[in-house]
Amino acid sequence: MGQEKRSPGFYILAAFFVLFVLFLYGPLSAIFILSFQGPQGGLTFPLNGVSVRWFQNLFEQQAVGDFGASFSRSLTLGLMVMAATVVVSLLAGLAFRRRFFGATPLFYLTVASLVVPSIIVSLGIGVLFQQLGLRPAWFSSAYGAHMTWTLPFGVLIMFAVFNRFSPSYEEAARDLGANSWQTFRHVVLPMIAPSLIGVGLFGFSLSYDEFARTLMTSGSSNTLPLEIYGMTTNVTTPVLYALGTVTTVFSFLIILLTVGIIYFIGQRRSRS
Amino acid sequence: MNNLLSRATPYLQATPLLVILGFFLALPILLLLVVSFWDYDFAGMYPGFMTFNYAETLGSWVTWKTYGNTLKFAAIVWAITAFIGFWVAYFLAFHVRKASTQTVLFLVCTVPFLTSNIIRMISWIPVLGRNGLVNSALVGAGIVDQPVEWLLYSDFAVILAMVHLYTLFMVTPIFNTMMRIDKSLVEAARDGGASDWQIIWNVILPLAKPGIAIGSIFVVTLVMADFSTVQVMSGGQSASVALMMRNQMSLLQYPAAAANAVVLLVVVLSMVAGILRIVDIRKEL
Amino acid sequence: MTDMIKKTGISRRNLLKTGAAAVAGAAVGSGAITGFPTIWAQNPITLRQFGTGVSNLNAIAEKCKEDLGITLEMTATDSDAAAQRAVTQPDSYDIADIEYWILKKVFPTGVIQPMEISKLKYYDKIVPLFKTGKLTPDSVIAQGTAPHTVGFVEAKDSKEFAKGETEYFTMVPTIYNADTLGIRPDLVGREITTWADIMDPAFKGKTSILNIPSIGIMDAAMIMEAMGNITYADKGNMTTEEIDKTIDFLIKAKQDGQFRAFWKSFDESVNLMASGEVVIQSMWSPAVAAVRSKGIACKYQPLKEGYRSWGGGLGLAAHLEGAQLDAAYEYINWYTSGWVGGYLNRQGYYSAAMDTAKEYMSEDEWGYWIEGKPAQGEIKAPDGTVMEKAGAVRDGGSFLERMGHVACWNSVMDEDRYMVRRWNEFIAS
Repeated sequence: MGQEKRSPGFYILAAFFVLFVLFLYGPLSAIFILSFQGPQGGLTFPLNGVSVRWFQNLFEQQAVGDFGASFSRSLTLGLMVMAATVVVSLLAGLAFRRRFFGATPLFYLTVASLVVPSIIVSLGIGVLFQQLGLRPAWFSSAYGAHMTWTLPFGVLIMFAVFNRFSPSYEEAARDLGANSWQTFRHVVLPMIAPSLIGVGLFGFSLSYDEFARTLMTSGSSNTLPLEIYGMTTNVTTPVLYALGTVTTVFSFLIILLTVGIIYFIGQRRSRS
Repeated sequence: MNNLLSRATPYLQATPLLVILGFFLALPILLLLVVSFWDYDFAGMYPGFMTFNYAETLGSWVTWKTYGNTLKFAAIVWAITAFIGFWVAYFLAFHVRKASTQTVLFLVCTVPFLTSNIIRMISWIPVLGRNGLVNSALVGAGIVDQPVEWLLYSDFAVILAMVHLYTLFMVTPIFNTMMRIDKSLVEAARDGGASDWQIIWNVILPLAKPGIAIGSIFVVTLVMADFSTVQVMSGGQSASVALMMRNQMSLLQYPAAAANAVVLLVVVLSMVAGILRIVDIRKEL
Repeated sequence: MTDMIKKTGISRRNLLKTGAAAVAGAAVGSGAITGFPTIWAQNPITLRQFGTGVSNLNAIAEKCKEDLGITLEMTATDSDAAAQRAVTQPDSYDIADIEYWILKKVFPTGVIQPMEISKLKYYDKIVPLFKTGKLTPDSVIAQGTAPHTVGFVEAKDSKEFAKGETEYFTMVPTIYNADTLGIRPDLVGREITTWADIMDPAFKGKTSILNIPSIGIMDAAMIMEAMGNITYADKGNMTTEEIDKTIDFLIKAKQDGQFRAFWKSFDESVNLMASGEVVIQSMWSPAVAAVRSKGIACKYQPLKEGYRSWGGGLGLAAHLEGAQLDAAYEYINWYTSGWVGGYLNRQGYYSAAMDTAKEYMSEDEWGYWIEGKPAQGEIKAPDGTVMEKAGAVRDGGSFLERMGHVACWNSVMDEDRYMVRRWNEFIAS
């Protein structure tokens, strides 16, 4: 691990990593190519001409469903879930650093949240809302349903984060006379900030993607994955692939932005 | 006073989690438990206390076979993702030197996961199909005469798609724990004359165990509860526990589906308990 | 114009016959019909409808807004989710667009309120298939959950289906069709005449059936009977022995590798066919059209045993009352008044009120889609793309030929609990 030269292991692992990335992006490239399908083309190879018809079509009215409205619902929901996931997981992560009564049952409840099949959670929440006389909607019941999905991820990642988090930093801060809020704000938070961003991204993408848990909880309006699925019950076109391509490009932009933020935080920290 | 506050802190911190999961998870599960004892026929459900749904679920070879099949998927997908996850995370954490490069490479891995699951799954179909990219290439290159049929609508396709969909869930926690490993430990081991393999085996692997355990929990639970990947990639020819439930739900046979869900919950929770028995991820918090 | 339509409401039959051409000429595509009260413009009303993407079309919502001023919020789901939502979340919709076979289970839960037939303007335009089960007076009633068997109830609060026509309609039928085998004539290479042909060893690994238990079992039943393996007392309501025999047969075929995949959504059936994964499969008529529109040869193959049919309709949510209920009736009357019917017919489905739909179709369209005549000019899809060239004849022929040869409907059986268990065995085997 010296700074001077790379071991042969490095090259083998680097090759492995490249293969892994190719594997991840491989099928996406099929989507990418097919999204330029000609106007008469279908969802499968071979290409039937080349056009940007389907990218235009993305912004036109579809025979069934509505990309714009469902996308904005998914985006909003994703952001709501992201915010809640970060805060709640962080708090729970901090709580679990100490022993408290009921920690084990709560931990198992969290794991159960991952385990219960999503369609069942979905149905359960839908029925529960109906029984309580509440109206299921994407911003209420589906919001909760998504959090049963993102919170276990968030909490478990916080476990991984705090797992090797040495209390000595906090002790040092306290010895220097910082109160617990100051310790948290100036010592703990900056150290775990990148992981929190990670939890947030995870939360967002899990929610943005979630299908089964939304199925019975979104009330009268569809989120994007439901809308896409609903569309496949009628004639679908490569517009779905155009959507995939646009999403991927969009994700790249978000990632770039995130990198920018991390970089910015790093700069500020090194300055102060 | 201060002492009291400090003792109350973990409770206050855990409250939001408890409230959310209590309402959106525990209550629905309770509901499920109750319904699993109800009777039903083609026209409706009847409240009652029948153990019939369980008897029917547990007494049928389909259940066992389906569990067997689902566990098989879980085991294979777990093994592959754990292997990939460990080496990818190890590469990122110990071989990439600059923190910014680490972040960028890690994010490169996450981008595909931001594309809709459904789209990512169906994108395999034009790749693996009878006239898909892989087969065209194989036939074109003269490697095979006939398109390879088992690439799509097979267990192979299911596993491939699951690995594709779920690997990040393994990479992320392992990467997270590895990043927290004190580099001086590795240096010390090296100075002590340990080989790369010895360092990996005796230092990094034990310290990365909590991450591996968390990743394993993610992957195992995801695979066990999956229905859409199995359905789409096997062309409906392979069964999974959740798919079985979905078939029951599609005909509004909720009590049977609920009983099935309870059984699944018990099975997977025991699996997780098993993982935690090997690695207590809370021990070192 | 306004007066004319109002009058048609009173003495529709005569006026429609004589004035049809004139009305059609003036109204097609122009959106000129204003015969419906426009109270909704002042008193904005939104109706939430959900159902499969087959009929939850944006064009319909748009036209409805234009004609009635009612905002129709449409949500498309798959048929499974539609049924679940109908039953478990009755508050989340005003209009349910579901299939008749699942209505058999949905209606008894009390989430749908029966409609008063006296309020349905075009009730007598609805084809008799949905009232008596007979398309023409001398047709044979098909087996399975035929729509008329779940179409009526005795009283407003009744949960049990009536034997015959009553004053209360459970759903207004909207869309239906007959399914058969779709084939790739270029890859099949021989005449296909019977459901049994799907089991031909020559097509090993290149066939598919539906993966929705209630529908797939009917595909299997058609195949079983065609092969002479069994004669069902009633395909649509099998005994446990019959279910056993059918599933055992399917399991054997599956293990022998006869099937390539099972499809669940419209899209999957189109892709399986278009990509050549499958050359012969149970298929919908519009799915065949979708394959063909990609320039790939595909045929909707009529078979000697007849078709497996399905139908869907609109039901009113139990919670509807007052102005919303009035608006819902208004919407349903508008739905059956012709424009939607024409629109659906032009997609290859059938409208339940054929006479009204006719007014909104050109003579050539009507001839091609409904009467089975060769197309005079190009046949275009609603979005303007050319579907068929002049001279083309629709597979399966006319409406009467297709819907007159329905052998069975998609079904919910009394033994459905047992059936699903066995179906799961089939998938697991």
